[in-house]
Amino acid sequence: MDTVYITNIQGYSIHDGPGIRTVVFFKGCPLSCKWCANPECISGKPQVGFIELLCKGCGKCVETCPRDAINTKEGKHRIDYSLCDACGKCSDNCSYGALVKYGNPMTVDEVWDEVRRDKMFYDESGGGVTVSGGEPLLHPDFVRELFELCHGEKINTCIETCGNVNSTALREVLPVTDYFLFDLKHLDSEIHRKYTGHPNDRILENAALLIENNADVIFRNPLIPGVNDTDTNIEATAEFLKGLGANALRFELMPFHRMGKDKYRALNREYLLGDLEIMDNETLEKIKDAYIDRGINCTISR
Amino acid sequence: MKDIDTSLLGKIDELTLSERIRNWKKAVNSSEWKLFADRERWTASSWQETEGQDIQIRRARLLEKILENIEIRIQDCDTIAGRLAPDIIGCATSFDISGDYIKDIWKDDDQLNVTMDANVGLDKESIEILRNSARLFAGKTAPEMTYKAWEEAAGSWARDAEKAKLKDPTLDVGIFGQCTSVLMWEKILKKGVRSFIDEAKVRIENFKKNHETEIDKLYFWESAVIVCEAAIKHASRYADLAAGMAEKEADEGRKTELLEISRICRQVPEFPAKSFREALQCMAIIGVCKNYENPMHNNPQWGRGDQYLYSYFIEDIKSGAITLEKASDLLSELVGRWGTQTFVAAESLKESHQINFAINNIMVGGVDKTGTDASNELSYLFLHVVGLLQLSSPTVGLRWNKETPEWMMNKAIRTNMSTRGGIPLFENDEVVISHFVEDGIPVEEAREWCGLGCVYPCLPSRAEHYGAEGVAAFNMAALLHLVFHNGVDINGTLTGVETGDPREFKTFDDIYNALMEQIKYITRRIFWLAAIARKEQPKHMRLPFLSVMGIEKTMENGRDLLFPHPDYSMFGISDRAIVDVADSLMAVKKLVFEEKKLTLAELLDTLDSNFEGARGEEIRQMCISQPKYGNDMDEIDSLVGKISKDSYDIIRSYDNAPYRKYLVAREGLAWHYFGGLGAGALPNGRKALEPLNDGSLSPMRGADKKGPTAVLRSALKAGSNESYASVLNQKFSSSIVQSEESIGKLVAYTNAFMGNNGSHIQYNMVDTNELRDAKVNPEKHKDLIVRIGGFSAYFTQLSPGIQDDVINRSEHNI
Repeated sequence: MDTVYITNIQGYSIHDGPGIRTVVFFKGCPLSCKWCANPECISGKPQVGFIELLCKGCGKCVETCPRDAINTKEGKHRIDYSLCDACGKCSDNCSYGALVKYGNPMTVDEVWDEVRRDKMFYDESGGGVTVSGGEPLLHPDFVRELFELCHGEKINTCIETCGNVNSTALREVLPVTDYFLFDLKHLDSEIHRKYTGHPNDRILENAALLIENNADVIFRNPLIPGVNDTDTNIEATAEFLKGLGANALRFELMPFHRMGKDKYRALNREYLLGDLEIMDNETLEKIKDAYIDRGINCTISR
Repeated sequence: MKDIDTSLLGKIDELTLSERIRNWKKAVNSSEWKLFADRERWTASSWQETEGQDIQIRRARLLEKILENIEIRIQDCDTIAGRLAPDIIGCATSFDISGDYIKDIWKDDDQLNVTMDANVGLDKESIEILRNSARLFAGKTAPEMTYKAWEEAAGSWARDAEKAKLKDPTLDVGIFGQCTSVLMWEKILKKGVRSFIDEAKVRIENFKKNHETEIDKLYFWESAVIVCEAAIKHASRYADLAAGMAEKEADEGRKTELLEISRICRQVPEFPAKSFREALQCMAIIGVCKNYENPMHNNPQWGRGDQYLYSYFIEDIKSGAITLEKASDLLSELVGRWGTQTFVAAESLKESHQINFAINNIMVGGVDKTGTDASNELSYLFLHVVGLLQLSSPTVGLRWNKETPEWMMNKAIRTNMSTRGGIPLFENDEVVISHFVEDGIPVEEAREWCGLGCVYPCLPSRAEHYGAEGVAAFNMAALLHLVFHNGVDINGTLTGVETGDPREFKTFDDIYNALMEQIKYITRRIFWLAAIARKEQPKHMRLPFLSVMGIEKTMENGRDLLFPHPDYSMFGISDRAIVDVADSLMAVKKLVFEEKKLTLAELLDTLDSNFEGARGEEIRQMCISQPKYGNDMDEIDSLVGKISKDSYDIIRSYDNAPYRKYLVAREGLAWHYFGGLGAGALPNGRKALEPLNDGSLSPMRGADKKGPTAVLRSALKAGSNESYASVLNQKFSSSIVQSEESIGKLVAYTNAFMGNNGSHIQYNMVDTNELRDAKVNPEKHKDLIVRIGGFSAYFTQLSPGIQDDVINRSEHNI
């Protein structure tokens, strides 16, 4: 059976759609946003991360690595990613949890076996399963199969998507998806490209496609200070949503946070927004009000 | 569901603490701990005066002497009279109960350690009063005489077992049957104490008229008359005091208030309470009388206050006799007062309970006698008031059932947020009631259950012996230590049974069976000694006031409750540390018998070295990475279930005739720290003497890797269905309840768990950062409450070991 790489399956998620949900994080994303809080989900391949704080320097990983990708010369632990194929032997043998493997191959049945276990919580709260990532719609067949199983057990389904996917992928999952959480990062295509690596035209087309097909959509905006909190972008976003129609007015601000920072360090990647301050509550409320004044049903995710 | 006035709920939400109560709170926080020696003055003089009389009469006279003479005060912030110590905060000692139990009184440095963190200075005169009393009672009290009996029967075993934390509590905690339970509040409020006197007098007359011969019954009824009259007298002393104060009072408002106190104290507790205020005043007086009789572990318990007080409350509100603000104010006053009462506990109790305040429990919601959910406006007010007061006591439980209304659950989660301390906790009405019914309790009576201290359920109509006779718990982790050392405990004493050299064990079953053998051996000895205590204690101790106010049947039988009764006495035990033991056994099974990565000898040697040595840490990590309870993994969860069931069967196979069988209720208190002192390193990766898991169904700290819902699934699978109660603590970052929507989600989460037969759950809503800061800067976090085991405590008052424990507990970061 076909597998995809899953980094995490997280129960009692309460910010990812209605009710109590289980979120399945897919590995691999077409965008590479500078503020991404899940950098381990950007690459589509499995990876090994190193958490320096937990390392006791026992050297067991050096011994177990079949490709000699780990060395501790000069007392510093290094993973040579050009040699590492993320086989995970080092993380299996690390007693201290200092090495983490991101991405386990899972079949639909394996994912289903995990997510169905919380049915009692979904039933009681009107919750269900959310696929996220990364970009789950890089694997539309997988998502469709998983959601069909969910619907068979009357479990509600939701997709968190960056929108930068093939429209056929969207069409494939539409019939089995109860909710979409759809990211609108920036309305200016050039700025969008600068911060995410891609222009936004396909995203805007897909947003329209969902609304045309009467999908239940909440648009979301990762609110990054200095990037997309400008009046111009607020105005453009509001106009865009209103242009899509009355069903496109639900909009949620996701305030920037730095929770992902440690994961950048673990992956030996540079965190480009290290100095960016978290937005204070007052400014946040002002931005929310700016959207509301423009007729958008705007909320803040907390 | 009851018809309630929902508009009242909205009004309750708006209520704040009055200035008077805020001032009281300020005074509590700023007051030094103070010990009052006055009670001892009167116990000693009474005891000397009554020498030669029957013990039942002597104990009644002793209480009478206290109630008639002890110093009383009405503080400026009081509108309800009746406090255990004249000052805002104060505590009393109990040498007449436990003998010479406070070592510090014999030191000459004026330092007397009375609580976890408080030393009280005492003047020379007070110290002399205490010493005099200690000399008078030392060696003759019920606990001390029972230890002598135990010594005769079993040598030093009891002391050794207690030292090795195999069982608890010790006897000097001063708990006897019904000590910790609730009184018959409904009857007391409706009929008044005079009716009890009348009833006793009729029995006395009949005794004489009919030439009855059981003289102990006559003494009992006479003792009942003495203590009830004394309680009435005590109230009238407050009436006189208030009237006298009113005469001198310049402030007109306060003058009126004092005159009202005076009027009411002549009415209650002697006659039936006629209003909400009178009912609370009656309870305040009865409460102090109960405490003066036995201050040890003996706080008055609210029980189902939202039920027996409801008619007074709602009628006064509807008729306009009282405003909602005033009703809330009065309720806050008594909840606050009872929540801050304290006593000088025995050393061992301080160690095992980790608290400053006496345990005190309010139960809200739940079904009524007919089986209908009885949540009402007063339940809501109770929750609101404890949310406003933000005290670590009382413990508040919500009796969850399928009919518990949404507004009640919503308020409960909000109260959890405002107290940050897991108030209220949730217990499953249906689970508890069905257990009582299975044990032969009529269903109408079972539906009246309430919490005893934290989660242990009790019936207000029966004498609860849990904690009495030296039996509350045995420590399965310490018993596993016995298995690993052929019966020798942590102190090197052979307190267990010799189950053979563990290094010779050939199969997993050998180990498992040895553990069961230890459980059988230890429980049988504990039960044997308890049965001896039951015979010995009544020779030296009686509690006439508690007998009359607490148990319906004592009057009819003419017997003090120190004599257990085959029907109405209830016995219970908690078999603790099951999850620690299951995780440990699973690691042995995997590493030694299945994967053969270690020999049993290697593992045991490593445990004995406390994971020191060349491979120590490596082996510890191997132990830690074995399957752990709390991750929805069938094999380990079923092992938890199997141990629970087998231990239960062993307990239940003990014939406690002529009394009821011991019931099993897995409550936890803050016991895990204390329990940890009884076990060396364990194969779950825990080092020697470290705390065990907190709560009977909480996963090992940091072992729950799959999130909170997986913990609940494990808990449901492991079952523990044979137990009346269990404790599952979950610590959430407070960020999970920051929006309206997320409150609803936590309600749904709770409903889903309880709806699938979960028996108990409670939440800690704190940020780890906040806890760390509180450890370093306690002065900034005086009000921070955390939950440990079954009840909450002020974080800054916990010992550093427990503080670390709370911090380390894996936080479910959402």
